[in-house]
Amino acid sequence: MEKIKQNPLVKKVGFNRVVLCGVLILMYIFFSILVPALTGSGFAGMSHILGALNYAYFLGFLSLGVTFVIATGGIDFSIGPVMFCCGLISGYCLTMYNVPMAACLLISVAVGTLFGIWNGYLVAYWSVPPFIVSMASMNMAKGIASVFTKTQSVSFPRSQDANGWFRNMVRMNGIPTGLFFFLGAAIICAIILNNTKFGRYIICLGSNKEAVRLSGVNTKKWEMCAYIMCGLLVGIATIFFVGTYTTVQPGYGDQYNNEAIAGCVMGGTSMAGGLASISGTVIGVFIISLLQEGILALKLTKDIQLIITGIIVIIAVYADVMARRRRN
Amino acid sequence: MGEVILQMKDIDKSFPGVHALDHVSLEVRRGEVHALMGENGAGKSTLMKVLTGIYKKDSGTITYKGKDTEFHNTREAQDNGVVIVHQELNMVGDLTVAQNIFIGREPRKGFRIDDKKMIEDSKVLFDRLHIDIDPTEKMSELTVGKQQMCEIAKAISHNAELIIFDEPSAALTEKEIEDLFVIIRDLRAQDLGIIYISHRMDEIKVITDRVTVMRDGGYVGTLVTADCTKEDIINMMVGRVIYEKPKEKSHVPDDAPVVLKVEHLNAGKMVQDVSFELRKGEILGFSGLMGAGRTETARAIFGADAKQSGDIYVNGEKVEINSPEDAVKRGIGYLSEDRRRFGIVVGKSIIENSTMATLEDYMSGLFINKKKEKEITEQYIKELDTKTPSSDQLVVNLSGGNQQKVVIAKWLVRNSDILIFDEPTRGIDVGAKNEIYKLMNKLASEGKSIIMISSEMTEILRMSDRIVVMCEGKKTGEVKIEEATQELIMDKATRQMEA
Repeated sequence: MEKIKQNPLVKKVGFNRVVLCGVLILMYIFFSILVPALTGSGFAGMSHILGALNYAYFLGFLSLGVTFVIATGGIDFSIGPVMFCCGLISGYCLTMYNVPMAACLLISVAVGTLFGIWNGYLVAYWSVPPFIVSMASMNMAKGIASVFTKTQSVSFPRSQDANGWFRNMVRMNGIPTGLFFFLGAAIICAIILNNTKFGRYIICLGSNKEAVRLSGVNTKKWEMCAYIMCGLLVGIATIFFVGTYTTVQPGYGDQYNNEAIAGCVMGGTSMAGGLASISGTVIGVFIISLLQEGILALKLTKDIQLIITGIIVIIAVYADVMARRRRN
Repeated sequence: MGEVILQMKDIDKSFPGVHALDHVSLEVRRGEVHALMGENGAGKSTLMKVLTGIYKKDSGTITYKGKDTEFHNTREAQDNGVVIVHQELNMVGDLTVAQNIFIGREPRKGFRIDDKKMIEDSKVLFDRLHIDIDPTEKMSELTVGKQQMCEIAKAISHNAELIIFDEPSAALTEKEIEDLFVIIRDLRAQDLGIIYISHRMDEIKVITDRVTVMRDGGYVGTLVTADCTKEDIINMMVGRVIYEKPKEKSHVPDDAPVVLKVEHLNAGKMVQDVSFELRKGEILGFSGLMGAGRTETARAIFGADAKQSGDIYVNGEKVEINSPEDAVKRGIGYLSEDRRRFGIVVGKSIIENSTMATLEDYMSGLFINKKKEKEITEQYIKELDTKTPSSDQLVVNLSGGNQQKVVIAKWLVRNSDILIFDEPTRGIDVGAKNEIYKLMNKLASEGKSIIMISSEMTEILRMSDRIVVMCEGKKTGEVKIEEATQELIMDKATRQMEA
């Protein structure tokens, strides 16, 4: 064990991420054996991988977004419902008011960003606990979406329809283009987190806000920016969600909170703040996505996935707590 | 003196990078006041934390009342009659005296708390201590001295057999100290064992029977107080280190410009109408007892806390300082008394901490120039002689003195001209302490101006060019170093302003 940890390559990538990659591969093998044995149909083929990837895109953007918030020591439980709110508002604009597709996608991003500004302002400047703010926002997002759409679900155009071009962002001629967008966004997020003033400040203030403030840094501003970043990414996540699943129903979206947070925390971002890893988040998202695809392939219900994600969150956070206790 | 109640033998305790206790021994008898002495960082508090179960010892034995003992937490220690009266008071201001004393173990009457019994029991305790405090009064209404008495009452209410006083006199006036000694003598007469931690040599001679001296985490020796002189104890405490003499005269020329002028500063109860001037190249000592309002004054100047009124001039120009951001822009740097909470981000590297106040100077466009950052950090590691394997090291792994150097580096990288050092050597071992002193002198000689808040009289007398004394939120005196004596400063620090 120690030997592996000291290996220079492992050290560079991070032991935690190596373990996660191992988990991902083992899970794939596990499903590849279990699914044919129990259901008679195959799992190892390309179709299930693509299925998992479809899930990974929107979840990945959510997870990237919440990584910024968790890095500050905060939390955002509104991301899933906000994504649905973005989808419902932009979809309603498209179908009822014939707003051009491109503008609708921008509306999604704008709505997400507005929620980010709202959450961030309350947390940073009014010092309302993030837990409370995001719980309230979650319900507000559901409410606003329902009022706006008069509690109708909306459907986005299919790829062969007019306006269907946006689906090329998810998949074009069988090529998973969404993967490029997601990984590209992840690289940009990693650079932002590790190489910019914003990233440096939010991670440091997640570790010790008062010390950063007493160094003459405007901590309120930067903390708010973390929530705005999260909102922006939630808005982008919407594009990949509707590009994959077509229909958005009002009143839902909660389950994606847990999955996005699970992906992020599993990847080594500490719930206590001050520690964040984008590469970890990416692998975490892939694990959650593969899990969901595998469970569907086993013909189990979504409920089983909720239970397993719940357990993953607990284990990941507990591991983080233990790691911190050891360090102290 | 009666039988031995506590025997600690060969206690050893290490933290990452620090050998905090090196085979320390301590013996306390019933009916004895036993002084535990040593410089800051000698390991007294650590030893007491091992005794009361806050820290787990690495090796050694603790024999309490004739039995091998290891407490796992303070609660267990309390239940067995070992209690600490802390230097910092642990009281809930909004509760009454009686509620504070019985917090967590309130007497019950059915489901309800039996207030009557609680008040009766408190009275019994106060009678035993011969003190006059109304148990129904709110804690925040009492003076610091009275609050301390309540702490003691709380301690003996646990059927204490061994009481540890951790610098009990630090925040008390002369009169209150006398009252405290009456109580301690009383407790001694009741055959309790008492450990008394203090820096004040005079008190040790007055109140204690024996004294155990520690130095740099090691055990030096135990003496019978009546048989030794003050000098004997000092020699044991400082050992190899030469005790520095006070500064003889100010190093600041009379015509040095005023770099910081504070006029009629008011911020809450702890800062009332404070005015002073700081000159270029000066080390201005801020002396006073705990709770005198010195830290609060510093924080108000720095914009860390809100102020109600008062003007601040930097280099003759009137400035608005409403946040640390404003203060830093004006070239003011603040080194907090509580490094870990307010000074550094312990979970981050030396580099990240060093450029914290000045990151905008280390950017190439949108991105942090990590090479430039590393260069400046390593330059200051060398200049301040910070002991660390590399600049990537997490600050949490450094010793107290080296952590302090990282904070200093942060402000030097920022090129701050006015530095506020709040208790710069608290929790730092003797060697590192001297280095910090040297560094402060060097900075002053290079033209930086320093405000040094310190509760250690020797430190104040050794470092300052001029001394401001505060008491209960007010400035009670300003003393030139040429005229300063321990007695004069102490007198001002304990004097209430007359009307």
